[in-house]
Amino acid sequence: MSYFLNCRECVDLLHDYVEGGLDVDDHKELDEHLSVCPPCLHFLKTYRSCSEIVQQLREQKVQIPMELQNRLKSFLKDRIGKADLA
Amino acid sequence: MKTNEASQEELIEGLKQLDVNVVDGFVDQFSRPLFGVILNYTKNPSDAEEILQDTLLKIIRKIDTFRRESDIWPWMKKIAVNNAIMWLRKQTSSRKREVRLDDWMPQFNDDGELEYPVFSWSGDPEEVMLNRELSSQLYDAIQSLPFEYRAPLALRDIEGYPVKQISSLLGLKEATTKTRIHRARLFVRERLAHYFEGRP
Repeated sequence: MSYFLNCRECVDLLHDYVEGGLDVDDHKELDEHLSVCPPCLHFLKTYRSCSEIVQQLREQKVQIPMELQNRLKSFLKDRIGKADLA
Repeated sequence: MKTNEASQEELIEGLKQLDVNVVDGFVDQFSRPLFGVILNYTKNPSDAEEILQDTLLKIIRKIDTFRRESDIWPWMKKIAVNNAIMWLRKQTSSRKREVRLDDWMPQFNDDGELEYPVFSWSGDPEEVMLNRELSSQLYDAIQSLPFEYRAPLALRDIEGYPVKQISSLLGLKEATTKTRIHRARLFVRERLAHYFEGRP
């Protein structure tokens, strides 16, 4: 099967495709390739899905150990006490 | 994260005056979210603690330069991100676990076609984060990225910075930044594909 774009070229364009930075011609060629190439369509879906999953880390709720908070307070008090903030 | 205006005003004044009680409250309120931001750049606990310590100190030192009409959290977060990037750039010890990206890029045959079957998988991102095994795979994948790729990915996909700002922050051309984000995403995709498809 021959396409105007091959799969390698298709994958190379995915960043700009999902970010909306492709020019009209490239966009059209990529859409044409995706319409006849299920592996690349799956690849696009999973590429996009990954990006969305990584975005979830933005909302991650981490725990901070109490000992670490206490060390930070002591460190800052020490620097303030010495007026050593520079 | 948003602080209400009264408490923000008290915080700024207290930090300016180096009021010890306000500094304690500042640590109580902001060390956890700042730690969360820093952990996106390093999972090494001692690195993260040093970066956090330095970030808190820088925030106090620079509090005079904060524009009061804006919310203080994005300003603090930016200091943490800059600090993490500058600090990690200097580290060589954090590079021990880094992988060769080329080993995890998609493979193509001579005709430029994908060399192996590609399965469609996806998940509700929120549910994925509740899946401990999967979120652990994700953390490991991001942490094993070389710093030159991890930083652009974290800045774009986790922090949501535009490519132009990332380029400026990292001193890269925009085209280089885009390439690194793309390759980092391909790497993470491949790692998650192995997980979802049960590949070794």
